[in-house]
Amino acid sequence: MRKRSVSTVAAVAVFGGLLAGCSGGNDSGSGDITLSVWAMGDSSKPMEQMAADFTKENPTIKVKVQAIPWGSAHDKLLTAVASKKGPDVLQMGTTWMPEFASAGAIADLTNDIPNYPELAPDNFFKGTITSTQFDGKTVGVPWLAETRILFYRTDVLKSVGYDKAPATWDELLDASAKLTARGKDQYGIGLDPKEPTLNFMFARQNGAKLIENNKAQFEEPAFAEAVSYLDTYFKKGYAPVDLGLDTSQSFGGEGMVPMFISGPWMIKTIKDQIPDIEGKWATAVLPSKENNMSSLGGSNLTVFNYTEQKDAALKFIAFLSKPEKQLEWMKLTGELPATMKAWEDPQLSDDANMAVVGEQLKNAEPMPLVKAWDNISQNFLKTFEQIYRADADLNEQLKAFNAQSQQLLDK
Amino acid sequence: MKGTSKYAPYVFIGPTLILLTVFSLLPILVAVYISLTDMDLAGLADYSNISFVGFRNYADILSDPIFLVSLRNTLFYVIIGVPLVIVCSLAVALMINFGRNRAFKIFRVVYYLPSVTNVVAVAVVWSYLYNPGIGLFNYILTSIGFDRVPWLTEPTIAKLSLILLALWRGIGLNMIIFIAALQGISRSYYEAAQLDGASNWQQLTRITIPMLRYAIVFVSITTMIGWLQFFEEPFVMTQGGPLNGTVSASLFIYQNGFQYSHFGYAAAGSFVLFFIIIAITLLQLKLQRKQAEE
Amino acid sequence: MQPSNSNAARSASSGVRLQQWLVGLTLTVFGVAMIVPFVWMMLSAFKTEGEIKQIPPTLWPETFTFDNFHRLFTEMDFTTYLVNTLLITLFSFVGLLLNAMAGFGFAKYRFKGRDKLFLLVLATMMIPGQVTMIPVYLILNSVNLTNTMIGIVLPGFISAFGIFLFRQFMSALPDEIMEATRLDGASEYKLFLQIILPMSKPILAVQAILTFIGGWNSFLWPLIIANDEKLYTLSVGLQLLKGQHGTNYALQMAGAAFMVVPIMILFVFAQKHIIENYNISGIK
Repeated sequence: MRKRSVSTVAAVAVFGGLLAGCSGGNDSGSGDITLSVWAMGDSSKPMEQMAADFTKENPTIKVKVQAIPWGSAHDKLLTAVASKKGPDVLQMGTTWMPEFASAGAIADLTNDIPNYPELAPDNFFKGTITSTQFDGKTVGVPWLAETRILFYRTDVLKSVGYDKAPATWDELLDASAKLTARGKDQYGIGLDPKEPTLNFMFARQNGAKLIENNKAQFEEPAFAEAVSYLDTYFKKGYAPVDLGLDTSQSFGGEGMVPMFISGPWMIKTIKDQIPDIEGKWATAVLPSKENNMSSLGGSNLTVFNYTEQKDAALKFIAFLSKPEKQLEWMKLTGELPATMKAWEDPQLSDDANMAVVGEQLKNAEPMPLVKAWDNISQNFLKTFEQIYRADADLNEQLKAFNAQSQQLLDK
Repeated sequence: MKGTSKYAPYVFIGPTLILLTVFSLLPILVAVYISLTDMDLAGLADYSNISFVGFRNYADILSDPIFLVSLRNTLFYVIIGVPLVIVCSLAVALMINFGRNRAFKIFRVVYYLPSVTNVVAVAVVWSYLYNPGIGLFNYILTSIGFDRVPWLTEPTIAKLSLILLALWRGIGLNMIIFIAALQGISRSYYEAAQLDGASNWQQLTRITIPMLRYAIVFVSITTMIGWLQFFEEPFVMTQGGPLNGTVSASLFIYQNGFQYSHFGYAAAGSFVLFFIIIAITLLQLKLQRKQAEE
Repeated sequence: MQPSNSNAARSASSGVRLQQWLVGLTLTVFGVAMIVPFVWMMLSAFKTEGEIKQIPPTLWPETFTFDNFHRLFTEMDFTTYLVNTLLITLFSFVGLLLNAMAGFGFAKYRFKGRDKLFLLVLATMMIPGQVTMIPVYLILNSVNLTNTMIGIVLPGFISAFGIFLFRQFMSALPDEIMEATRLDGASEYKLFLQIILPMSKPILAVQAILTFIGGWNSFLWPLIIANDEKLYTLSVGLQLLKGQHGTNYALQMAGAAFMVVPIMILFVFAQKHIIENYNISGIK
């Protein structure tokens, strides 16, 4: 190990307890500060590149980046909360926001946001701002946005009489039935029953409220109808249950599964992995019932509550929120910006698929912002499995699920 | 034992005991306390949010249907998996040891490899093998005219599939323990037995197995404990599905503790599991002691 | 077998040869099944991502590519992870020695509370690992050992499994040799180092391999303790390859292959030099 890293380790070990959240506060006595940033994902390199640009503009602030694997990020965050020692800036998936906000692990930024024009709520998609609110406070800044859209094979849909993507629930069901009728081992649409947002997203399109005033609404007809609608796809074989194929396998070739609902990352995957269907596929906003609201995901940037460098942290976040920086990030990683301004750039607005994503983002909401949501949605996957796989009674299952959810909400 | 320095044994076991106290016993005491509280993430961040709830977590978890299912599944894993692993690894060890040719040495590596393969890699490879559509197993089955098997999508078959996977991973470790023990048996016993005209089978049952007594006790106890904590296979392959068919007690505890941050509940669950493991291990030790006396 | 009768001996030896062939054949059949997943992993590491997803799947890569391995070292910091992994592995051998000492203490001495203490050691093996993770973290944090190499290796030093294994096998070592050494005036510590350890070679080999693998594959703990990527291990690096959406299988396979090959080589050597033809004479 090189000498410098030894001394950093030693400094953290010795002073860590005294200066909470500190990562080498006064390195050389010059007044420089070092920000520590946790970025989720496969590599710290893109973030390091952004950080280098930032330091160029702000020579007194150094940035140290650590990549946290997605699969273990939750465990890692727990220990950071327990020890109150963590980073200064923390990337956080939107679904985890309520949990960590209610634990007081991320800082209240309500009074700081107005100081940074880059962070004004109007700059971002409405849905992404929703995900940063908790208990009437602003606890984060939108960073990356993604939402679910419909992918379909134009050639295959044409063969069953659809010149454009199904625009309503009825059309979607009809198209799926016709596509399934093409023959053995042919399906209409790929719906992932293990995707925790699937049912809730459809339920919202049907006008369901999910949770209102901390009361679970999963027994309401609007919700039950949506579940039954989705169940039809699995029961009638329009959507495969245990196909075991990767989307790039089933969507390519003859189009065994010529439609599916997924996020924008699939655009690149299809282009890279099945180039031979170029020109034979397209994307569309989701079909609508009462509306076509999609589910919104992505990540926010938050400030760890135990940091002593909140201003510098916000400065860095504001820097990352500039439209040009968000575009730069997109180029490095393929992840999409949460700032609306960035979507006006020709890179995004001239791309047909991206335009679809941008339009759907305007009509997308995050999952309900309650801290038990993760638990509730996982429970629902089990409930839904009982319905589509074991043919259990739908109303009974939903009743039990509703009671169970209410219990979690009351905790 | 005469001449033994009075302090020597304590010097030998001292460092171990200190480390165990700090990193096992102390944390357990903390965990016992946690199991009696409603600690969640907010409690972890600020201890003043924790309140004492007595044995409520224990009462709740023992009436949680999924926890009970997970205990049943765990029992299923243990009853089928443990004997299978022991018999297979012993058989492989005996066969490898029986071989005279140098080529037999290769088998040690072959049978040992799975147990060193990283679990992430294991998950990727086996998900492919068990894949219902394009998986190798179903590909072979359909090409010789059989029906597809729902390897991971039917609750009971999924449990068996995970046992098969765990067997694949588990043989290697026990096998080298058995081989090391077999190497320790002096050849002179066999030479004597051969002079007396003992058959291979007699040598196996009269010399080898009794001489492996320690190793067998060891392997069966550790295997039993390991399987009672069955975790990695369902964690990476099925996440407990389908229909809770593969959820094990350890997985249930992990999901409640680390996914949903119900630390108190999860801690209570792990003590239930802990007591079950202790009870079964003590029973096992007793049975084996009795057997040894006979 | 009747060695006096040469005819019978000959037929017996051909019987032995047949048995040898049968056993070899059985081992081969099952052995192939054992390594299929492994071979598939190795070959996939050289495929392109597109080829891995191809239907029907290919066994042998159509085009051999080293690109996956190249990316491990350019896009990710696998060199650092490798160094850390080796360091952790090295440190964990200190733990091996401690385990051997404890196993010896429990096996060959009678002292007050021995059985109770040993049961205590056993009991720690039965604790589901997730229970103690956060408490251990808090303990290390309170003595400022998080984010250090010591914090990563220390909790893993003692393995109840290891102590148990050592005790079981050292119990079988003959007391006579120990007594003889003591009569020669050797201290207990010298006895341990010069007599007991060499006699425990087969079990030390087993333990050394296990220790190596444990250190090599250590994953969750280094990730939790490290607040600095400079302390990440190979397993953590491998986990980093798993994306939030979708996974690059080819890259993962390359990472996994990269992790397994050193262990494989080590094991081939270890078993050749230590286990093979080792014969403890004088075990009762």
